Amino acid sequence: MASTVIGAGITIEGEVTTDEDVVVAGTLRGKLTAKEGVTIEHGATVEADVAGASLVVAGSLTGNVTAAERVDLQQGSRVIGNVKAARVTIADGAQFKGNVDMDV
Amino acid sequence: MAQARTHTRSDGQGARIGSAARVRGRIHGDGDLLVEGQVEGDLAIRGDLTIAEGGSVTSKAVEAQSVTIGGTLEGDVSATGPVRLVAGAKVRGNLRGSAVAIDEGARFSGQLDCEFDLPPELGGASRNDGRDGRGRPATRR
Repeated sequence: MASTVIGAGITIEGEVTTDEDVVVAGTLRGKLTAKEGVTIEHGATVEADVAGASLVVAGSLTGNVTAAERVDLQQGSRVIGNVKAARVTIADGAQFKGNVDMDV
Repeated sequence: MAQARTHTRSDGQGARIGSAARVRGRIHGDGDLLVEGQVEGDLAIRGDLTIAEGGSVTSKAVEAQSVTIGGTLEGDVSATGPVRLVAGAKVRGNLRGSAVAIDEGARFSGQLDCEFDLPPELGGASRNDGRDGRGRPATRR
C-alpha cells in the first residue's frame, strides 16, 4: 500500500508534498511533489505540475512533469504537458501532447 | 532497470495522507480519509475521518460522517456521526456531532455541541419551571 493515496471519490485542490510515494485514483488540482514514485491510475484526473522519482500514468494528466528517473505513459493515458526525465516510455494507445526532454 | 515504478493500487474510494506527506488546500469528496501526515486546509468528505497519532490537521472547517482523532486538530468539526477523541489527541476548536466521546489522555479546548435530551432537573424536558425558561445549557452557544 502506498503511503499516500487519493481515492477515486476524493478531490484535493492545493499542494501535496511528500517524501514517499503517491497514488492518485481521484482528482488533484494544484501541485504534486514526491520524493518517490507517483502513480496516476486509470480514471484519475490530475491538473497539476508533478515532480517525483518516477511517474506512471494510466489516467488523465494536464501539467508539466519532472521525474528524476523515469516516466511511463501507459495505454489509455491522456497527457497534456511537457515531460522531463532521463527515461520516457509512451505506450501504444497513450495520448500525449507536449514536449519530451530526456537531456537530464 | 530502475525499479522505482510503483505497482501499488488504491483500495477503492478512501484516501490516505501518509506520515511523510503534507497537503495544503481543500480536500473533499466521497470516501474515508486517514490522515497520518499534515493537512492545512478545509476538509469536507462524505465518509469517516481518522486523524492518526502523529497526524495533524489545521482547518477552518472539518465536515465528515464520523471523526476519530488521535493526533492534533485545530479547527471546528461538524460531523453527522460521532466524534471521538482518543488518548493522545490534542484538539482546539468546536466539536459538533451526534455524540462526542473524549477518552482519558485526550486534550481538548473548545465547545461541544451535540444533540441529546437533557434530564428534567437540568431544564431539558420541563423547561417551563425554570426561572428564565431559556435554558438548554449544554448546547447554548
